[in-house]
Amino acid sequence: MLAFLFRRLAAGAVLVVVVATTTFLLLSLTGTDVARNILGETATQSAVTAKRHELGLDQPLVERYWHWAEHALQGNLGSSWFTGEPVNQSLTDTLPVTLSIVLAGMLVAAVLSVTLGTAAALRGGWVDRVVQFAAVLGTAVPSFLIALVLAVTLAVQLGWLPATGYVALGDSPGDWLRSITLPALSLAVAATAATAMQVRGALIDVLRADFVRTLRARGLTTRSVVFRHALRNAAPPALTVLALQFIGLIGGAVVVEKVFGLPGIGTLANSAAVRGDAPVLLGTVVVTVVIVVAVNLLLDIAYGWLNPKVRIS
Amino acid sequence: MRKTAAIVGAGILTATVAACGGGTQASGGDKTLTLAESVTATPWDLARASMGPEAQYYQPVYDTLIRLDTKGNPTPNLATSWSYDKAQTTLTLKLRQGVKFTDGTAVDADAVAKSLLHTKSGTASAASEIQDITGVDVVDSHTVAVRLSHPSASLLPALGQVSGMIASPKALDNPKTPVGSGPYQLDTSATTAGQTYTYTRNAGYWNTKAFPYEKIVIKFLSDPAARTNALLSGQLDGATLSLNRVKTVKGRGLNVVTYQPGDIEGLYIWDRAGKIVPALGKVKVRQALNYAFDKNAIIKSAKTGLGTPTTQLFAKGEDGYQAALDDTYSYDPAKAKKLLAEAGYPNGFSVTVPDLSANFPQEQAALTQSLEDIGIKVKQDTLPTDQIFSAMLAGKYAMSYFKLGAPTSWDKVQLELTKKSTWNPLKYDDPKAGDLIDRIGTATGAARTSLMSQLNTYVVDQAWNAPWDVIANAYATAKDVKVTPQPGSQYPPIYNYEPAGN
Repeated sequence: MLAFLFRRLAAGAVLVVVVATTTFLLLSLTGTDVARNILGETATQSAVTAKRHELGLDQPLVERYWHWAEHALQGNLGSSWFTGEPVNQSLTDTLPVTLSIVLAGMLVAAVLSVTLGTAAALRGGWVDRVVQFAAVLGTAVPSFLIALVLAVTLAVQLGWLPATGYVALGDSPGDWLRSITLPALSLAVAATAATAMQVRGALIDVLRADFVRTLRARGLTTRSVVFRHALRNAAPPALTVLALQFIGLIGGAVVVEKVFGLPGIGTLANSAAVRGDAPVLLGTVVVTVVIVVAVNLLLDIAYGWLNPKVRIS
Repeated sequence: MRKTAAIVGAGILTATVAACGGGTQASGGDKTLTLAESVTATPWDLARASMGPEAQYYQPVYDTLIRLDTKGNPTPNLATSWSYDKAQTTLTLKLRQGVKFTDGTAVDADAVAKSLLHTKSGTASAASEIQDITGVDVVDSHTVAVRLSHPSASLLPALGQVSGMIASPKALDNPKTPVGSGPYQLDTSATTAGQTYTYTRNAGYWNTKAFPYEKIVIKFLSDPAARTNALLSGQLDGATLSLNRVKTVKGRGLNVVTYQPGDIEGLYIWDRAGKIVPALGKVKVRQALNYAFDKNAIIKSAKTGLGTPTTQLFAKGEDGYQAALDDTYSYDPAKAKKLLAEAGYPNGFSVTVPDLSANFPQEQAALTQSLEDIGIKVKQDTLPTDQIFSAMLAGKYAMSYFKLGAPTSWDKVQLELTKKSTWNPLKYDDPKAGDLIDRIGTATGAARTSLMSQLNTYVVDQAWNAPWDVIANAYATAKDVKVTPQPGSQYPPIYNYEPAGN
């Protein structure tokens, strides 16, 4: 298992390097005159040239990449070309926001999808049809629309929750929870829909398996069969979908953060991309990839816990 | 039953969370003014500061030499009095005694001179406003003399805006935290750069009573829907509003003011010499373009009826504005086609314009449809947002939809009419207009106004652009907050906010 994890870690590291390099290349090929954008419309050409030199943009691409990578490996992701703020600081400020809504969204999605998927698989009939219809609806409706509807109804009309903004967990746990609830629910809908269908399908398959029939024959209650045995065997495919959803939620967070005015990593990446602020954009990409790799690693560990065969292989 | 409860888990979670909270309400009543900004802040270094909506980020911290009142007239602030010499090229300002920056340094003539020259050394819009300054002399400890290359009517208004803000000499170059002598200071512990800026009172400020709020919070909210939701749910005390949301917000009982900061939108013709599209070098073709747009229909559909149709560069109240000029070109597509035929283009011509529909979808649609209606074939060039303006400034396009504004007529002239103007990307040079501009630069009083009118008339007759309307802005405030818009400012300055009923 340990060797397996090391292999996955190494693969993750390669992925980080590949994505960072590709992003660096793409940013270098956009043709944006960053120095001009920074200095403003009235800057003279000589001032723009001096700025390009200051930013190192007149250096060969390989040299610039090496310079960035060398510092990045030491944990220094540079500073924003526009505000001068260290990228590490920007990420420290914004990452908790995004992680809060994504993890909360995941939690809601996990609980609801297991509940709905199990209900659909066990009850069948109208319950199954309602769950399937809701899942199709949840997948089809974009998260920004859900976010807007939630904001208008629960925040603006009813005033139950804040329409915008984020409160740090350390400042006030209650307000933190209130500030992330609507964004997390907006993100959770699509993830719930996709995962619930996976749980339903996998559970139906497992419930038809020979070992389940054997367990029933031995007189185990339905609850014991489902919750102690069937669900555990149906979990790996659902976990895979949930992990993929996590990656999707990070992407979806860009739009949801905008609707709820949240200062998260999506907002940071968005404004950096619009301005051509390469250090900030690279920093957000690297951190996002690291998170994705970490989630996949956790998924592998969870597989091993759920299924001993994985540990052996 | 258990399953039912589980299925409504999300609802329960929402309700529980909703119940466990107090309020996140903005509170004009509790002496905190919470505002939203639609753009991110530019750096604290005044040499890199912008003068648009970004000004609100600077206003709490940096005090200006002059305060512009709600009609745009200069009134005393850090400078208690001022006067020009006979040639109108030296402005002498007497400074207020006993004022200090929040770092304890005195706001004296030396500090003012250093700050002004530092701002001027930059290249952003705050710097470009004071490029006519050739030097700042320290006359005595509390008197400075600002020398100009030529008389400039825009200097005093500029000194009442970001260009006239004064920073501590110890924090001029790229400060991480702004140090000024304004009514508030930045609370770094409650500030997240790029997102939320919190300002608390500067206890030593000389004019505290002009600022009724103990704390100001400015949040960056780029999304119009998010701003509206935050306003309606009571999280904000003030924010700019999309015109299509005015009715909704008014209907909820919030205060909404609409005003015209003087920005002119429409078709801007950059290639008046016909370098890229030869047809545009002909006056009749440019005049034909002016007859192509149904301005009232555009205002009705794209601007929810808010905005004033115009044909000229200057807005009402600005030097050189002439109401009669607005009748020069009325919507007449048949006449437009006739003029095109007379100019030798009976079948129109082709032109490539930048596709600005990401930011201005209705305006871009109105532009292309109207031009195609008179036989002009429009090709839309799509570029990433961060490259469009660079491409436009580099002279890539012959014409485009655009909107431009500046605090005064002279600023508008400098911005777009001179050969060197930033928004004259193809560096069009017209000797007659150039001569008028030169004369305006040295004229004063009624003679100056007359020359400005002549320039305006000439530009309209020659159809340099095809303006549609003077843009209207809408700004909403909470029920307990009153705001007064400021001429020439996209957002009201922070000293124009007060509790309602005052």
